[in-house]
Order: sequence, then C-alpha cells, then structure tokens
Amino acid sequence: MSDVNYISGKEPHEKEYRLIFKNVDREGWDTSIDRYLQEGGYEMLKKSLGMEPKAVIAEVKTSGLRGRGGAGFPTGVKWGFIPPTNTKPVYLICNGDESEPGTFKDRYILHQDPHQLIEGMAISSFAVGAHIAYIYIREEFPEAAIILEKAIAEAREKGFLGQNIQGSGFDLEIYVHRGAAAYICGEETGLIESLEGKRPYPRIKPPFFPAAMGLYMCPTIVNNVESLCHVVHILKMGGEEYVKLGTPRNSGTRILCVSGDVKNSGYFEVEVGKVTFRELLYDMCGGPKDGREFKAVIPGGSSSKILRCNESFKIGRGDDAKELEFWDLPLDFDTLAAAGSMAGSGGVIVMDDSRKMSWVLNNITHFYAHESCGQCTPCREGSTWMRKISDRLANGTATPDDVDTLEEVAYQIDGKTICAFGEASAWPVEAMIDKYRDELIADTSEENRFRSEERVEQEKFLSKS
Amino acid sequence: MNSRLSVPQPRKIDRDQLSYLSDSSIVIPLPKSVDRAQLEFLSGNGNINPPLITSIDRGLVRYHSSDGIIRVPKAQSISRDDVKRLRPKLTVLENNIASPVTSGSRFFPPFEITQDLENKAASRIAQYPSEESRSAVLPLLHEVQHKFGFISLESIDWVAQRLNIEPIKVVEVVTFYPGFRQKAPGRLHVRVCRTLSCAMGGSHKLMDKLCAITGIDRAEADGHKDPISVSPCGNFSVEYAECLASCGTAPVCLVNDDFHEGITADKAADLLDSYENA
Repeated sequence: MSDVNYISGKEPHEKEYRLIFKNVDREGWDTSIDRYLQEGGYEMLKKSLGMEPKAVIAEVKTSGLRGRGGAGFPTGVKWGFIPPTNTKPVYLICNGDESEPGTFKDRYILHQDPHQLIEGMAISSFAVGAHIAYIYIREEFPEAAIILEKAIAEAREKGFLGQNIQGSGFDLEIYVHRGAAAYICGEETGLIESLEGKRPYPRIKPPFFPAAMGLYMCPTIVNNVESLCHVVHILKMGGEEYVKLGTPRNSGTRILCVSGDVKNSGYFEVEVGKVTFRELLYDMCGGPKDGREFKAVIPGGSSSKILRCNESFKIGRGDDAKELEFWDLPLDFDTLAAAGSMAGSGGVIVMDDSRKMSWVLNNITHFYAHESCGQCTPCREGSTWMRKISDRLANGTATPDDVDTLEEVAYQIDGKTICAFGEASAWPVEAMIDKYRDELIADTSEENRFRSEERVEQEKFLSKS
Repeated sequence: MNSRLSVPQPRKIDRDQLSYLSDSSIVIPLPKSVDRAQLEFLSGNGNINPPLITSIDRGLVRYHSSDGIIRVPKAQSISRDDVKRLRPKLTVLENNIASPVTSGSRFFPPFEITQDLENKAASRIAQYPSEESRSAVLPLLHEVQHKFGFISLESIDWVAQRLNIEPIKVVEVVTFYPGFRQKAPGRLHVRVCRTLSCAMGGSHKLMDKLCAITGIDRAEADGHKDPISVSPCGNFSVEYAECLASCGTAPVCLVNDDFHEGITADKAADLLDSYENA
C-alpha cells in the first residue's frame, strides 16, 4: 500500500484508514478493468468461488459489518434471513440511490472505482445465491450509469460475470437500473417497488421483509454501495482481522462526509469509532471558517437529530456510564445512538454561528415536504404542515405558539407511518425545537397573531356563526 | 354541417339518482361515455347564456336548474365543427399530461418511434424476467426523455404498448418522479441543488444569478407541479433539485447530464459560456 500516491491536494489525512477509498483520487488510476486487475482485482471473487456460500456468509457475520446506508443493520445477519426452504430465484440489489442530504460517499465509488463494487456484488450474489443483481443508481448520476455499464461489459468479457464464472458453474448477470430523482427510492421496499416499475410506495414490514418477499415477491437482499464494497475487503483480510478495525460492535472503516461551515469539507475514511468530533472537525477539516465558531452538527445525514456543540451527553449504562462533551464523542453507531442521534449514512453537516436555526429548519422541512411519497397521511400532510409553519418561522411571521404546533405535528408523524421516512422527517424538527427552542421563539412575535392570513380567515369563519 | 348533440342528462329525473338537488342546481354523476368538448361547450364556452352546466368537478356535472328540470337549448344551433374549434377533445391522459409547448420545444424533435429507439427498448426489456417487463418503465422513459427532452403523451402510449400495460401505469410513474419532465426544458437544462449544504454554500444566489443572466422568471415555478422554468429564448431552463450528493463541494448543479461542482454565483456566467458552442 506504500506505493499508492494521490493527486496532489487530495491526499488522505494521516488519521484516515483508506480501504474502500484506496483508489479514490489516486494518481494514475482509472476505471478500466486492466487497472483494477493490476492491483489484484477480482482475486477475492475467485477465492470466494472456491468457498462454500455459507462460509462466505459466516465470514461476513464474523466481520460484524454493519450496513452503511443508514440503519446500521448487520449485513451478514440480513443475508441469513433468506428462508432456507426457498425455491424461488434470489435477487441482490445494490442501493446506489444515495440521496440523504449530506452524504456523498457512494458518488466517488461509483464514478472512480466501479469494479470494486462489481466484485463486491459478485461475491455477495454468490453468497446469497443470486443469479441476477441490479444496481439501482440515482438519476442524478448519469455519468456513473455509463461508467458502470462499461465496467460490467468489461467484467463480462473477462469472465467475471455471465455464465459459468471462472469455471465455477456459478452464473451472474448484473444490470444497471436508473431511478428518477425520488429520495424515497433509498428506502429498500420503496426501491423494490420502483424497480418493479411502480411508484415507490414503501411496503409494510411485516410481512414484506425483502429477504423473504422482495423483488417480484422473491427473496431479495438490498445492500448499500459501501457495504458491498466492504465485502471484498472482508474476504481479503478475513473476518477475524476485519473485526479488529474500529471498535467492538462497530467494526471496520466508514466514510464520513463533511460539508457545511468548515474550512476543508470532504470525505474521510476512518476506522469506526476511532475519531471524535474534535479530531474530525478541527484536525481533519481545519476547524471553523475564519472568525466563526461551530454551533451545531448534524451527524448522519439530514434525518439524524442535530447536536449542539456545547452539549454534553451521558453515554453508557450503569458503571460504564460516563459524561462526554460533544467534542469527545466518537463517531460510531452506538455512541451517536446513545447521544440521541444516529450515525446514519455518515453525512456530517456543520453549521457555524452565522446560521439562523429557523432558516436551517426551513430548508430541511422543504426537502421532506417535497420528498414525502404521499402514501401515509401523517407524513404526507404533516410534512407539508411542517414546511408551512417553518416558512413562517423563517420569514418572521410566526407566533410563539407556532413552535409548539410544529413540535406537535412532528410527534404526530413520528412512528405512525409505514416506512422510516416519517421519522426521518420528524426527527430533525423535534431535535431542532428541543435544542434551539429559545432561538426559534426569538424569531417569532406575539404581534403576528393578529396579522396572519390564517388568523384572519379563522376570525371571519368564527364570526359568521 | 350541423348535427344533434347528445347531452349528458338522465332521461327522467329520478330523485334517487340525484346526488344533490339544491334550489338552483342539479348534480348528476358524469356519464361514462361523454364528449368533454360538449360539456365544455355547454358550460358557457359557447353561446349559451346563462350556461347550462355550471360546473364539472370530480366526476359530477352540476346543471343549472331552479326547479329540478334540465332545459337543453335547441341542439341545431351547435355544430360539431364549432365544438372542435372551441376545445379539442381531451382524454383522461390529455387532462393529466398537459405537455405545454415551451420556448425550448424547438430544440427537441417530436416523438417518433425509430429503429434505434426500438432496439434500445428491446435491450432494456431484456434486463428483466420476461413476465416482469413492467420493470422496464423507468428505463424506457429515460430513453425517451434523453432523446426527445421530455415525456410526451405519444411516448407514454408507446411505452405502455411496448410493455403491454395500461397507459395509466406509465402515467403514474411519470407524474410521481421528479426526474421525468412533462414539458420541454431549454437547450441547456440547469438543475441547481437547493438542499442544506448547497443552500449554505450559496445555491440560492446561484439560482438568482442564473435567472438574471438568462432572463428566466421563476415566479410561477412550483416545486411539485411545475418545477421547470424556461427562458424566453428557449436556450436555457432552470430547476431546483433536491440533494445532488456532492455536499462537500457546494454549491453544485447539473447542466443536462454534466455535473459541475463549486459553482458559486460569480461563476454562473462562465458556466453558461462554456456551453456556448455545445
């Protein structure tokens, strides 16, 4: 690995541990299969084809790999959910619908290292017994779709895809399926509906767990791009070795995407839980912009709950419990969950003291109101109401009660919808009000009560009867 | 040529059949086979005054009547040609997919089924199990949009026919996904990311600047119903997109299929200039 050079100005930070992003921004790197083969590409596919599929699954289970799409569910366990008595075809889908605001890791894998993903998919398909796999890629990556289709054709030509791969008797075809700019397609059952050519209305779980009833009602495994890439490295290192990376229950590396008000935004691949917010934002990102101070951080994509930079959290239970300042929180799945937020998809959005929280909230509610699929009433109506109320907060026509109403609406969505979009849209609002209530109320005025359009209409209506 | 029109009305007004009878109007369900143009005509588009039909709403026809009797004017005075001239016949599809002509329309060829399109469709359909060809709806629509700029009525019919499904199954997809356009964009279609990181990086300023340069008026734009605004010359169009997944290099935008990062407002003019000869 020592001979890997990176394009000047894009060298990884010394605290990084490049596994998945080893070839991103690498000098002399391109997306051709020849270049990938020079670096020992597809060797792990050959190795896995000599193994029992069950042994591959066991290896991934041992590695403790947790899904990198947002929920952090153990990948090996997910693979084990396919009913043992199944006689239908099994499908593998790569979720490349990366659309969580703040997240941009998959972009670089898809654009710069497509063969790593294809190898990961081939190994995973072999492990779960899939002969057809789809890459669901978001519409906003038109170039990546072309790159992937070219890479698939190359891999097919070299005998890493198609019939009887490398003489093992295993057949696999991978196809690229482009989405059409809908955030909800990142939800696995929504994605499956979309792949079936319908509106991406998520299915209710149970009974529609994809591993049992997924694409065309057949067992289906849906994994994130990054998760599938990790599979290659798990086989390379062995599950036992891989689990040593990171911290217990949070193994491996993960890519953190930092954006917003920092000096150097970008992506950083680090061992999970080995980096704290202080290290990430001050050492790796160069601290706040000149003359500014950090105010708040959204740690895992815009659906995760916002954290104040001057908070402290009680992490752990019983004797292990300790009080940690925000800056000392490590960025792993469990710690962030204990701090009341989530590691999500690794999209860290940073805000400094120049940002008004009502404006930030308004931007987020606009996103969720636009992206709600409209299937469940609480979310469809609630997200629109949250947008309307936050519009008032942002343009200074709200009353203090509006903050309470907004909070009430958010709690009426949370937990009352088919898919997790309900929570995704409600959590940021709940957290924002919880942490910045005073600031939001300061933007309102009691005077507005008599000026609002709705109030006037209400008065008119009431005086009629 | 004059001919008699069949006006949608119950033969005998049966109180049970009436959905609603108020003091001045009668409401009946819209008959299944009815010429929309005739209804429009009777609603006052023509020379009937006061209009016989006061409203057509959600499958109900509201007739003007003060005593429960519908009075139809002498039919001889209305010719079919008149009706055609006043309003072309609209199908359910046409009502939902308006595809208005925009100033950008001239840059895109009208939809036609070419051999190339057929071949591409066949290879896309082959990606899915033979009994699940409906899966190819999105890929086929992408092929259409790529070549013809937007999804027109004729193309919806073609996709439905090609996959052997009802047109409504294609319409529901077209109307749901923001990635499918229902009207022609400009020759250069710019999608500016408006989500948090890009907004903090100045994407709203970028949008304002783009509009100022190209003379686009976004006053009528609506994120849900009509997100695309086209410049008067038809060369440019703009739209706000939700998170283009490159938050670290905000603000970002897509120009047709090309991705551009770090486009602050001051770089907007250069960006458009770089496409001068494209």
